[in-house]
Parts: sequence; C-alpha cells; structure tokens
Amino acid sequence: MRVRLLTAAGLAALMTLTACGGSGGDSGSSGGPVTLRMTTWSANEAHVALFNEIAAEYKKTNPDVDVKFDALPFETYTTTITTQIAGGNAPDLAWILENSAPDFVASGALVDLDDVLEKKEELAPAATALWTSGGSLFAYPFSTSPFGVFVNTDQVKAAGAGSPAELRAEGEWTWEKAVEIAAASAAKSGKAGLVIRDFDYKTWDNLATVWAGWGAEAWSADGKTCGFNQPKMVEAMTFIHDAIFEKKALPAPGTSADFFAGESAMTITQISRASLLKDATFGWDLVPLPSGPNGPYSVIGQGGLGVLKKGKNAEAAAAFLKFFTNEANSAKLAQFFPPPRQSLLNADTLAKTNPLLKPAQLQDVVIDGISKGVVKPSHKGNAEISQAVRSGLDPLWKADADPKAVLDSVCTSIQPLLAK
Amino acid sequence: MTPSRSTPVADRAPARPAPAGAGAPVGRPSFWTTRRRDRLTGYLFIAPQLAGTVLFVLIPLGLVFWYSLHEWNVLADEFTFTGGENYAKLAADPNLPGVLRATGLFSAGLVVLNLALALFLAVLLNQKLRGTTFFRVLFFSPVVVSLVAWTIVWQFMLQDNGGVNGLLATVGVDGPNWLRSDGTAMISVIVVQVFKNVGLNMVLFLAALQGVPQELYEAARVDGASRWRTFWRITMPLISPTVLLTSIITVVGSLQVFAQIAILTQGGPGTSTTVLVYYLYQQAFQFHAFGYGSTLSVLLFAIVLALTVVQWQLRKRWVHHEN
Amino acid sequence: MRTKVWLYGVLLVLCVPFVFPTWWMVTSSLKPNADIFAFPPALWPDDPSWSAWGQVFDMQPFAQQYWNSAYIALVVTLGTLAVSALAGYAFARVRFPGQNALFLVVLTGLLIPSEVTIVPLFRMFNSWGMVDTHWPLILVPIFGAPSVLATFIMRQFFITLPGELEEAARMDGLGRPAIFWRIAVPLAKPALGAVSIFTFLHSWNLYLEPIVFVQSQEKFTLPQALTQFVDVYQGPLWNVQLSAASMTAIPVLIVFVIAQRQFIEGLAHTGLKG
Repeated sequence: MRVRLLTAAGLAALMTLTACGGSGGDSGSSGGPVTLRMTTWSANEAHVALFNEIAAEYKKTNPDVDVKFDALPFETYTTTITTQIAGGNAPDLAWILENSAPDFVASGALVDLDDVLEKKEELAPAATALWTSGGSLFAYPFSTSPFGVFVNTDQVKAAGAGSPAELRAEGEWTWEKAVEIAAASAAKSGKAGLVIRDFDYKTWDNLATVWAGWGAEAWSADGKTCGFNQPKMVEAMTFIHDAIFEKKALPAPGTSADFFAGESAMTITQISRASLLKDATFGWDLVPLPSGPNGPYSVIGQGGLGVLKKGKNAEAAAAFLKFFTNEANSAKLAQFFPPPRQSLLNADTLAKTNPLLKPAQLQDVVIDGISKGVVKPSHKGNAEISQAVRSGLDPLWKADADPKAVLDSVCTSIQPLLAK
Repeated sequence: MTPSRSTPVADRAPARPAPAGAGAPVGRPSFWTTRRRDRLTGYLFIAPQLAGTVLFVLIPLGLVFWYSLHEWNVLADEFTFTGGENYAKLAADPNLPGVLRATGLFSAGLVVLNLALALFLAVLLNQKLRGTTFFRVLFFSPVVVSLVAWTIVWQFMLQDNGGVNGLLATVGVDGPNWLRSDGTAMISVIVVQVFKNVGLNMVLFLAALQGVPQELYEAARVDGASRWRTFWRITMPLISPTVLLTSIITVVGSLQVFAQIAILTQGGPGTSTTVLVYYLYQQAFQFHAFGYGSTLSVLLFAIVLALTVVQWQLRKRWVHHEN
Repeated sequence: MRTKVWLYGVLLVLCVPFVFPTWWMVTSSLKPNADIFAFPPALWPDDPSWSAWGQVFDMQPFAQQYWNSAYIALVVTLGTLAVSALAGYAFARVRFPGQNALFLVVLTGLLIPSEVTIVPLFRMFNSWGMVDTHWPLILVPIFGAPSVLATFIMRQFFITLPGELEEAARMDGLGRPAIFWRIAVPLAKPALGAVSIFTFLHSWNLYLEPIVFVQSQEKFTLPQALTQFVDVYQGPLWNVQLSAASMTAIPVLIVFVIAQRQFIEGLAHTGLKG
C-alpha cells in the first residue's frame, strides 16, 4: 500500500513541479502600473500612517506605483517571509531583522543598493557594517537604536545606594556600581533590580549589552571562532551569574518584571522605548551603559530595509527605496526610528522627535552610542547557532552552575556551525 | 428508525428519478444492476473527499518527499538534487534521539492524561447532580479560547514567582521553576495542553456514557458488583468505540502540537521539550533548511502512519462492536 | 449527601485551572496595560475601563475581520458536512471494490500536520493566483486534511446504523441516494452536530494558514488580527489584544451554552455511543 502510494505521490509531485516551474517573476519591468509590497513587523497605526503618507507622496511623481505595507507578526516575521519566498511570492521590499541580516546579505537574496541610495556616504559606518558585504551595501539600516539604562529614580533613591546619573557625571558609572545599586534597590523595594529587557533567559544576544563591557564577543570578527569560552567572556558571564544568584541584582530565570510598569529599578533596553514612559507615575532617567573592565562602550540594535531580487518588480522597488530613505523622509522616519544619517544625528533634530528625552541624554546615549556602537551578535545561519547557544546556556542559569564548563560546552556545540 | 417512519418515505420513492448515471428505469435488471449502481454511487459519494485528498494531501506530500531529496536554501535560491544525503544526515543527526524521546514522552503523557482526565470528568458530570450543565460549560470553555491567549496566561502562572507557586506557598510547598527545570518543563507543557483541550474529549465521553442503557447498571447492582467492577466490565466495553476515536484524534493531535511549545519553552531547557514538529519547524522555517525540514516531515508522517495502523489494528481486539 | 458535598468539592477545585485563564483574559482587558502583569494578579481591576475594547475597532478593521472569520468558518462547516457525510456514508455502508484501500488513502489526511504541507500548498495556490484570497482557507479545510477527521467520525457513526433500516427502504424501492438523503442523514444529526463543532472551532482558531496565505489587513481572520495590536515599538498592547481575544471567545461560548444540551444529548441518543 505504502509503496504504491508513494509512487503515485512522486509522479504527482513531478507533474506539479513542472507545471508551476515556469510561473512567477515574469511580470518583469514592463512599465505598466505596479503595486509594490513591503513587509514590516509594525502594525502600529502611527507607523502605518507615516508609511502611507510617504507612499502617497511618491505616487504624485510616479502615478503608476502603488505601495502596500504588509505588517506581519513580529515573532514569526522572518519565518513568514521565508515561506513566502519559498512559495514563489517574495515581497518587493522587506524590513530585515538584525539577527537574520547576515543570512540575507550573504545569500545574494537582496539587490545591491550602492547606486540606489541618496547620499550614501553620510551613513554612519557603525550602522552600515552589518548590511555590507564585499564593499556593497545591501540594506538601508532604517533603525539604529542604541541600548541605554533606564532608571527608576524613586526606587533607586529610596535604596540610598547612589545615583547612576551622579556616578556617570563623576566618571564612576561602572558595572560594579550598577549591580550594587540594583541589588540594594531590589532588597529595599521587594521588586526586581536590573532587568535586561527581552533577554528572559532565552534571547541571549541581549546579554551583549553586558559582556561588551568586558570586550567579550560571541564569536570572532570573521565568525569562525567561538568566543564563549574565551577568558573575557568567562569573566563577564561569571559576573552576570554572580549578579543573578549571589547578589540578587537581576531577577532569576522565569520571573517577569516590567520596568515601565514600575516593577524594576533599572532596565537595559533600546532608547526608542522611552515613549512608554509618557504616562510614567515614577521619576526616571536615562544613562548610557555602565563601563566595564574594558572601559566605556555602547551597543546598538538594528533593522534594515532591503529590496528582494526575487520580488516581481525589483527595479521599481529599488526606486521607491531610494525615495523612502532620502534625507527628507529619513527625517520623518526619525521620529520613530533613530536614523543612520549623520546629518540627522544631532541633538536638535532628535529632540524635536523625541520630546521625552533631554538633549544631554540624546547626545550621551543616542548620538555617541550610534557612532561608537557595536552591533548585537549575528552570523550566517544565525537561527541555528542562536538556538544551539540558547540550549547550551540553559545549564548556566542555576545557582550552582560552573560557568567555564557550561561555556566550553556551548563552544563545542556551536563550533561546527560557525565553521560551516 | 421505526417501520412506521420508513413507510411514507417508501411511498414517495418511486416518483423520484433514478440515481445518477442510470438512464434505465428503476427495478428491471439492465446493465445497471443494483450492485453496479451501488458501486457507482459509492465512488461518486467519495469523489469530493478523494479528489481533495489527492490534491491537498497526497500531491503536497509527494512534493515534500521530492524536496527531501534536495538541498534547498530559500534565501540563496539554491535547489540542488542531493539524493539520499538528507536521509544520511537524518540517520546521523545527534539531536534526533533526544527529539524522538521528547516526542514520545509528550505524546504518551498527553494522551494518557487527557483521556484519563476526560473520562474522570465525564463520569463526575454523568452523576445525577444539580449544576452539571454549569460545570460542563466551564470545563469546555478553554476549547474556544484563543490558543495564544491561553498559553500566555499559563506562562505567566507557571513562572517562578507566578500564580501556581504562590498557591503552593500557601500550603508551605516551595514550588519548582516549572518551565525552566529539566524535570518539570515537559509535564508543564503537557498539562497546559490537557487543560486546553480535555473539554472536547470530555463531551464525547459524556455523550457515550449517557448512551449506556441504565438497565445494565441495575442488573449489575442486583448482581452485587462493585462500582469499580461495573465501570470496567460494563461501561468501558460499551464506550470503547468512543475511546478509540478520541485516542486516535488525541495521538495525532499530540504529534502536531507546536505553538504551545514555541510560546512556553521554545524547546528548552536544553532540548528537553523539542518535539519533532517543533524541530521540523526550526529546521525548515527558522534555519531555512527546507530540504532537511522536508526529510523530517517524511519521518513524522511515517511515525504517525505507523501509530495509526497500530491503533487501527488494536481496535479489533478492544473495541466492543464494529462488525 | 456526603458524596454530593464531596463531588461538588472536587468539581469546584478542578474548575480553577479551566476558568482562571479565561477570567484573567477578560478582566485584564479592562485593566490599563501596565497593570496586567502586576504580581500578585488582581482578580478584578481597580478601575475597570472599556476603552481597550473600543481601541480594538480603531486600530484595525476588526468588524470586517470578524465577518471574514465568521463567514469562512460557516462556509467551511457547511462544505465539510456535505463532503464528509457523503464520503463517510459510502465508506461505511456501500460496498465497492477498493473501498478499504481508498479509505486508507483518505486517512493519510488525518496524519499530516499542516506545518508539513504548507510550503507545497503555498506554491500551488500561488500558481493559481489565490494567495491573499480566502480560497486556501476555504478549499483546503473542506476537501483536504481537516475534513478527513469529519469523514472518519461520520463513517464511525454510519457503521452503527442498523442494517435492517436500509433493507426495508430498499425493499420499498429506494435507491442509494434516496436512502442516504432521507434515512441516513436525518438519523445522523447528532454526528453532524459533533462534526460542525469540530469544524467550526478548527476554522475559527486557524492560525498558521492565514498568516501564510493572507496578506492584506482587511482580509485577515481573527487569530491573525490578534497579533497585530502593538505599540510604537512592537510591544504588544496586552489590554487591546486581550479585549479582542475576549471578543473572539465569548460569542462561541454563548453558542455552546445554548446548544450544549442538544449537542450532548443528541450525541448520547444515537451518535458516538457504545
């Protein structure tokens, strides 16, 4: 039965494959009216309104081009566009998450943007590094958002262990101090101390906001060698482990605490989250990441916008991308997404669009952060490596764990993947 | 059901035209004997289902098999025939034993807990008791709640400082970190899923229980049989077709559970809750290895097929009456 | 008397894990976003507000999406009833060559998780120009894998029908289609009821397929729409999401409350009984 069934299915498979082999991608650049489809992970009204405004303006000079913005759920974003590409229905333009950037950039799935973008030279080099391959830029880093530390000044003051802003002014804002303050606040308030937002003991790449202070990295710059068992990383991870289980400065695994709801004294997150503090009922402040043994540092998270080669209207899509990311529109987008253009990276421009932040905070965290920042770790084949690291790190999140041994085993499991 | 009901039907019957395809008048033997007509009707009746199965199940399945013979990198747009290479990779995959173990544990745990609880609830609600309707609705309600909302609430309740441990603390028990400890993550995922769907099986069991003739229980009581004995000797055999049906549905469903794991544990801690569907999804959709993902699909299909055949065979031994 | 008290006690305790999440979902939709994950959870909001329920309709064409889900589920349910009753009857009561083999072929549909075939199905529907339409969400459930479960249930039901009934009808000169339509189908109402509930819920809660096949917001179905209530930085707006989730669950619950007696008792009288 099964054999017969499989043969029949195999025949059918061949028929279907040949039947739909020729379809797709033949609408080409015939010059007729086109509707471009751009996938994003934002269904937010304000974002969508801005995108539609830009598209409507574009239509004035390009009456043949309509743009449809297709907001996909964030959790399954990359998966969904991959399925669409596999199914022969690639979007024309797509936002790309930083962690899948190397996959998209290196695979040749994206159109080279070097001759497309306006004033490409004014993009901050730290912002474009991730999206560049062989000297060409493959996606426009529309959002380049540095990590900072938000402080609940009420809780910190009540604990009386010092103020991050004052320490910062004195040049004493270090990880030792940060953990000390967090532990004291947690003990005093009964709430959480310092929360590394979105880490949740799963999304480990957010820990880069800590270990970068030790000069540690997940893997070497060429991506070939595992960095988890290097001495700097072991030191950094031991520090984190100690802060969680000995000092109780960070909430233990499986504990949720939302800074923006007043449940923790400090949180490390991207500055764009400041808007969540619009109606805050507590005093707050924003300071840069504390300095580590390796001195001051900053970390940025990114999103890119690229044109897919497999989309039906790659040329028209590239033309729209040029318009979407020109200086005028970049300035508009800057109200939601910190821009990579250096002409916009000044406290005055940013202050207009980020009314909750003081110019000093913007200069300190955003502008300096973007120009000096290291990007969160990513690698070709990122999802698989990321998954292996996550399950490899799980044994570390216990009070009696041996960091060196755990980190060695992480390297054992990811080294073959890195070498691929 | 009674002859009196079928008589009027029969009276009207000859007025209707003969069944599809039959040009010959009803009754007199021609080429279209009753048997031939019956056969044709049979084929016509199953035609929509069969065509749908071929188009939407077998052809896609064949394509999946075809993909499994390729290395397919979607992003790089590479689709290369590699023959049995993916199957060699499958045989050597160091993750596979753990994945199969987790799959077996999950399915076995889910089926046993789900059926046992469903039966227990059905028996409780089958008592002559006021308010059973109310409880019926309560136990069924999770079935209609959005899966994502349901799972997120439970994630929140199962965290270290969550509701479940809060409750345990009031009786002096220091609960574990349910979703993040090796020993408890799997059972937590199973239990969350059982609570979500047990209502459906409960309703089916309840229906079956209410179909058991009361006289049989009376007779058993007269014979002095204990409740326990009555349950096993009378109730169970009589509801066995329902047990078979629900167990097949539950086993097959258990092998397809995915969103819950994605939300609750993401396959962790370690890989202790990485079941086959989740692993397949990771490979195909997250790691962009559609070829290898397809190979895992073929494996999953083979496992489900084998299990169902086994259950189908067991039916002959277990199930009380089916010709 | 003592047994009764004991029974009520057990039932009440057992209820908690079934009811609390739903309770939490509904009450949290009345809380401000920041309070939802406060610990310990408040059983009732301090200051209940319906504003999130209104926001649901402001942020998305939710009424349209509601209609999409409703009509798709309805069409799928009716279509599945027709397809599965016909096939289930034929497999159970008609004798024709290859019957068992064909039944096994159909059963393969029961065995395939949708993750397995989603890519080839996507390619098929794409080549027919049906991506971003509701067709895949209607055609696949009615004719493909999901309806196989329905056919299976119908077959199991029809097998238990007494053969004498058909014999009698045949003696009276009824053909197969007439026997099916006038005798078997009316008797099968309970099984059809069970199939309706399964099918409706399956379609109503379908998540992966809409995300993959449907791309325009005004064509979304409810489970897909639920993921779209986010703030400026993609943080989920929990209270709005939970309001929308409550709105998707409550009507179905009400229908069940009203229909459950007929449903269960109907099943008990003839349906999947022993």
